[in-house]
Amino acid sequence: MSITRKPEPVDAIVVGLGANGGTAAKVLSEAGLKTVGFDRGPWLRAHEHYSGDELKFVNRDYMWPDPKMFPRTIRYDENAEAERFPFSPTPQMVGGGTNHWAGWVPRPRESDFMMRSLHGDVDGASLADWPFRYEHLEPYLTKVEWAFGISGIAGADKYEPYRSKGYPSPPLRPTRYGKRFYDACNKMGINAFPIPHAMVTNNHNGREPFNQTSFWNQYGDPSGARSNILTTFIPDALATGNFEVRAESFVREVKLGKDGKATGVIYIDAEGNEVEQDAKVVVLALGAIESSRLMMLSKSSQFPDGLANGSGLLGKNATFHEYLFAVGLFDKDIDEPLNGWTGNYISGGSLEFYETDENRGHIGGCIISASQTCHPVNWVFPGRPSWGDALKDADRNYFNYAMKIGLILHDLPVESNRVDLDPTVKDAFGLPVARITHRPHSNDVAMGKWQVDKNMEILEAAGARKTVPVYLDKMTGNTCHQHGTARMGTDPAKSVLNEWGQAHEVENLFVVDGSGFPTATGVNPTLTMMANAWRCSDYIADVYSKGRKERLVIAN
Amino acid sequence: MTLKADWPVINGPVDPDSEERLFFTEHEWETVEAATARIIPTDQDPGAREARVVVFIDRYLSGIDYVYAAADGSGFLKMSGRYADAWRARMADMQRTYREGLRNLDDVSVLEQGGIFKELSEEGQDRVLEVISGAPKPDKVTLGTKEAVTTFLQGSFDEGLEFFPALCLHTKQGFYGDPVYGGNKEQMGWKFIGFPGPKSLKDTMDGTYSTHEYFMEGEFDWEDLVPQLKVSTFRDAEA
Ligand SMILES: Cc1cc2nc3c(=O)[nH]c(=O)nc-3n(C[C@H](O)[C@H](O)[C@H](O)COP(=O)(O)OP(=O)(O)OC[C@H]3O[C@@H](n4cnc5c(N)ncnc54)[C@H](O)[C@@H]3O)c2cc1C
Repeated sequence: MSITRKPEPVDAIVVGLGANGGTAAKVLSEAGLKTVGFDRGPWLRAHEHYSGDELKFVNRDYMWPDPKMFPRTIRYDENAEAERFPFSPTPQMVGGGTNHWAGWVPRPRESDFMMRSLHGDVDGASLADWPFRYEHLEPYLTKVEWAFGISGIAGADKYEPYRSKGYPSPPLRPTRYGKRFYDACNKMGINAFPIPHAMVTNNHNGREPFNQTSFWNQYGDPSGARSNILTTFIPDALATGNFEVRAESFVREVKLGKDGKATGVIYIDAEGNEVEQDAKVVVLALGAIESSRLMMLSKSSQFPDGLANGSGLLGKNATFHEYLFAVGLFDKDIDEPLNGWTGNYISGGSLEFYETDENRGHIGGCIISASQTCHPVNWVFPGRPSWGDALKDADRNYFNYAMKIGLILHDLPVESNRVDLDPTVKDAFGLPVARITHRPHSNDVAMGKWQVDKNMEILEAAGARKTVPVYLDKMTGNTCHQHGTARMGTDPAKSVLNEWGQAHEVENLFVVDGSGFPTATGVNPTLTMMANAWRCSDYIADVYSKGRKERLVIAN
Repeated sequence: MTLKADWPVINGPVDPDSEERLFFTEHEWETVEAATARIIPTDQDPGAREARVVVFIDRYLSGIDYVYAAADGSGFLKMSGRYADAWRARMADMQRTYREGLRNLDDVSVLEQGGIFKELSEEGQDRVLEVISGAPKPDKVTLGTKEAVTTFLQGSFDEGLEFFPALCLHTKQGFYGDPVYGGNKEQMGWKFIGFPGPKSLKDTMDGTYSTHEYFMEGEFDWEDLVPQLKVSTFRDAEA
């Protein structure tokens, strides 16, 4: 193919308009930079395209990436041949994952930024400290909470570190299973509280949150309730007059100039034409799997192993946060219904078990939450019989009499857990797809087991008459949380990006998604990612674009 | 090229009582009706047969015109471009899976039970389904036992599924999916399972459909649910 067009150069390109690219687009365009944003997916209109259709949103890939267009492969063993599998299938459309996420947005903890200092060398793991600390992120966490719209109650989370401001919106009324969770936790002395939620329940920033349908996780929201990049930061960016969206435009390469700086990108537009767009700064936010893949696809004589990959760490140390849980069943003849399909996915959670307690036999810990068991076709009952009277009875007896308590596994980075290019499988554009190689660290398995068992205890305290645990055997990427593939750090030999998400080796290339996370954290990552994207974008606008340079020094 | 955001709406909602066949032959239709009736059987409550699951599956397999309902349920989206290509390829595979799967179902029926599937007794049909699924008929769930399970993905695509798992998944989809797709006639699947679903998809878009009453009932105070609030110093300005 050859380049058919070359539009006017701009100040900044943002590739991927999800949680993080959307944040970057807002900050850069508001700072006056002429910015073009690309997304391989469509630019849908929430109020017009979204509704409570379980088949379309959960079973068919109206939002999930089409496995034929964008396949991925996985192998659980270095020597095995990777198989096609929709591993961590983060959505593709303007707004990215925020279009249909559940939206748990807890803050990270101070310990998350210093796993290496706290735990030293852990066998088989590659722990690293972050090149900044919670205190550096705190102002940005607050900015995101207010600009994006988060509901919660400050002070309810006993273990939360310092915060400079409360929440803009109060939490949703608890569900019935949420109430059971609160009661059980209070019995057990566990600090349960409404997990901060990427939704507003009041009229905030002109939004009208009328959605009370309980069609939430995996569904698009036609109202103003969900905090979705598509309906918040994209309109903010467009309002500046400095921003343009190019949807259904697949970026296939970041180009490198002779001076060692990125000159722009090559993309394939909706018609199938190859177009070249130049810019002074290139910001990547495709998600940690695709950002590292794009850098690997952007090879050159200067960087034969992938763009800005002198360290050889590109794609490595990938972490994915598997979602594990336990389901409790109740007795229809005795117990009150729990209506597990109601709510906006999460209803009460806790960080009681977050910090390391060596007595548990593992380091680190993670967030837990009572959450929706979802809708009739796909309701979450592992062990639901596949057919016959047994299926019918199970649906009749337990659909309204089940609850689940899940956790977000804080998996440790391992250098060999990685993303690279699959040697044979290609996507719809003929380019090699991302191949994931992964084997959980023993700490991951131990943490998962301990916490799922604890969740079963809580279910029992809540009155469950049977519990079904879901333990970790292998990663499926079921949370769509992706981190670590282009570590941030201060040493160019041990990291790909610096503390501003700036590639050590290509000064006008920034990566502002989870790729930079040196460790995974034990909370849902997107609030942390967006705060970091905002922080890095501020640096691009206020420092880098003005021809200056700054380093962040961590005081000990 | 029409962008995905501008896909037009075609057809109307599927009529569950339709006898018109778009994909299945008459024999296949009757076989699918019989097989889905063993997957979600009729007892004191309606099953797959009454909910018209066969209509749902026939329309789905007919091509790519019944894949995505329009958001408001007024009809279906007419796909284009790469999306349409991907679905056409996927559907061609699924059609083959069904054609071959149904032929095999009859072959196994003749071999095991001496007659084609749709003419066997319910017990005979169950026996055949055990053979093609390679596992005994699932046992009923009982309380008071513990079984561990391992990780799986959210969402449930049918890409690459073999015949019997596809049939089981599609039966659940046709029994419990939105009625616009042809199954779940008169919302009988939802009524059976105890899910008070929306009257129409449109009602989920404009605030008409609310599930508020199924949340926790009555007045409540966050301080009772979260005792920490009684001692914490930081409270939201507005709360
Ligand atoms: C169902 C679901 C529930 C979730 N729930 C939560 C939750 O409760 N809490 C939480 O913190 N996180 C949650 N997540 C994860 C969350 O969505 C992600 O962490 C977040 O979206 C990551 O942001 P991102 O900007 O890095 O990537 P994304 O939001 O995925 O955006 C990346 C964008 O890049 C585009 N892109 C990719 N490749 C290219 C290319 N070559 N050219 C052009 N564009 C490209 C994609 O189309 C996509 O739109 C959930 C995810 C899913 C799917």
